Amino acid sequence: MSVADYATRNRLTVGVAGIVAAVLLVGGAATLFEFPGDELLTVGAFQRTLQAAMPIALAAIGGLYAEKSGVFNIGLEGFMIFGALVGAAVPWLLTGGGSISQADLWVGIIAAILVCSVLAVAFAVLTVTYEANQIVAGLAVWFIGLGFGPFTATVIWGGVSSPTLPSIDNLTVPLLSSIPVLGRLLFDSSPLVLLTILLTIAAWVVLYRTRYGYWVQAAGENPSALDTAGVDVTRVRYATVVFSGAMAGLAGATLSIGIGNGFTGTGATLVDGRGWIAIVAYLFGNYNPIGTLLASLLFGAMDMLQIQLQTIGISLPGSITGLFPYVAVLVVLTFIGYTRVPAAVGEPYDTEE
Amino acid sequence: MLQASVLERIAIAVASTSLALLLGAVIVAASGYDAVEFVSALVYGAVGTSSNIAFMLRQSTMLILAGVAVAIAFRAGVFNIGVQGQFIVGGFATALIILFLAPVLPAGAVGGVVLILLGTLAAVVAGGAYAALPGLMKAYAGANEVITTIMLNFIASGVVFFLVDGFLRPEGASAPNTEPFPSYVELPSVVFNSATFSIIGLAVALATVLVVYVVMARTRFGYDLVTTGHQESVAAYSGVEPKRTIVTTMTFSGVVAGLAGALFAIMILGYYSDPNTFPRFGFDAIAVSLLAANNPLGVVPAGLLFGGLDAGGQYIGFTLDMPPELVDGVVGLVVLFVAAPELFRMAGQRLGLGGEER
Repeated sequence: MSVADYATRNRLTVGVAGIVAAVLLVGGAATLFEFPGDELLTVGAFQRTLQAAMPIALAAIGGLYAEKSGVFNIGLEGFMIFGALVGAAVPWLLTGGGSISQADLWVGIIAAILVCSVLAVAFAVLTVTYEANQIVAGLAVWFIGLGFGPFTATVIWGGVSSPTLPSIDNLTVPLLSSIPVLGRLLFDSSPLVLLTILLTIAAWVVLYRTRYGYWVQAAGENPSALDTAGVDVTRVRYATVVFSGAMAGLAGATLSIGIGNGFTGTGATLVDGRGWIAIVAYLFGNYNPIGTLLASLLFGAMDMLQIQLQTIGISLPGSITGLFPYVAVLVVLTFIGYTRVPAAVGEPYDTEE
Repeated sequence: MLQASVLERIAIAVASTSLALLLGAVIVAASGYDAVEFVSALVYGAVGTSSNIAFMLRQSTMLILAGVAVAIAFRAGVFNIGVQGQFIVGGFATALIILFLAPVLPAGAVGGVVLILLGTLAAVVAGGAYAALPGLMKAYAGANEVITTIMLNFIASGVVFFLVDGFLRPEGASAPNTEPFPSYVELPSVVFNSATFSIIGLAVALATVLVVYVVMARTRFGYDLVTTGHQESVAAYSGVEPKRTIVTTMTFSGVVAGLAGALFAIMILGYYSDPNTFPRFGFDAIAVSLLAANNPLGVVPAGLLFGGLDAGGQYIGFTLDMPPELVDGVVGLVVLFVAAPELFRMAGQRLGLGGEER
């Protein structure tokens, strides 16, 4: 086991400890200030947290792969905007605005994945082949999403937001759903929750237990060694960037039709910074997919705090509680966020031909 | 990009803008609109009438100031994506000072000038302090400034909205706006007869450009700043403390962003409002600065170009049945192409237009 692997495991422990501490803190506050803590930590609250964490975790796992291979995909937010838009637009266009079936919604999700993959190819061409500055190109993706997202919505719906659309139905797995707590969380919930967890596990296995995963890591740590070993670095990087686009597309569709009811194009759009939080989630998870999922859960919980506080009778204005995730990002980055980024991130790799 | 010659940079700027506009026109046509009408309305909206020109110069003024703020940081190798947040906080500080001191100070021209100066001072301090925060986080905790500044943008809009909406909104007002500033707190328009543009504002922006240029090119501080951006280890060997440079750079950048905020509050709004509804000058400024190759002087033509695009885009939004967001998208495309100078270098080579082999 290499030193990096060891650090990864420790990071995971730190992350888990952090989440446990947060739960204990709420519990402690509950007893100290006579908070009705049991009302704060309900199955419903965990369910909402999981749903809020989903888009963050999905985008983060894609971004993690890209960065592991040496490309900082800072455009996740922009890709998510396109994913959200396509996810909402395709079912609507398919049915001409009529009654949208569950199948139409799934077609929308697949379309979002495909469209964002294609956009990510363009991003890869610019950053990998034409050696564009990754940070600037990623920002451009964000601006393009902020501009063309609402623009396309206007072309389709006549306004920057879509009308109310249906969302993916909950999936109830017989038998498994009757497991206490876990059953309700995973097997009587949005199928996307289960999908997110499966994808997270798959991403972990591929990254740490397959030859391909080692290629990805080598492309980010020591591309010339990988090249010497006869693996095409450019190809590996293209693959991870396209994967990150696909995952961000799925994440965006999750927001608009997975748990939400359509596309919102006002302000920072319905994505509202989740793409940026996703980047912090995988940094916090030290590029480990499972750690990333846990970090996303933390941010998801922040996101849902307002509803939880309301149920126990503390009403903070939405404009303030909505800021919790952003503040959490700052705290995470400042106090625990220092991570060792892959050595070759941001550097274009030229084969000496 | 830092190695490119001045001529090359200008060529890249022109090529990326033209390509972005061309793509924009193609998208307009593909969405079923008239591309020729789009382009002609864009030009007319920018320079068609004297009031359109005043509006364009107003947008350019803001973009030049915000662009210089971005350029200062980029020059030193720090990405300040938080200009929008510093701009919001700066303008809010101006509004607070003006609204709270106006009843204390004598009304009239003298009071107006004092209020404008104090308000601007507050904006500069607030903007600088708000930018120092991510600078400190980067220097002493290794926190990526791209992400912290973006988070601080969200936080600035949220908190300022909360304060304006909850504490500064007059009784019974339906919109989250503060009281208007007293009528004597205003910049006279002088040349154009416009309520929201004053040539004094443009002069302030140009003077700032000059000051920043001189500081960067002729002072020890500016030299350290640019060396740190080019070659951090060299700067460290020559006795520059890189951590301190990061913090001062961000502060300097935020000071200029704050100044833009003051100008926005005094010259354009005349009150303060929900920051989520403000134009995204701080983001477009990133495009302005990149197009200018982060050169403070180059920010002026780039700011004029984007001011024109902005004015044209808004005119399109008002008159044609086309969404103005399109122009935001085109700005994004410009940024994308500016990010990839290699694309143009290779294209130039292939077309036999020169462009040196590296």
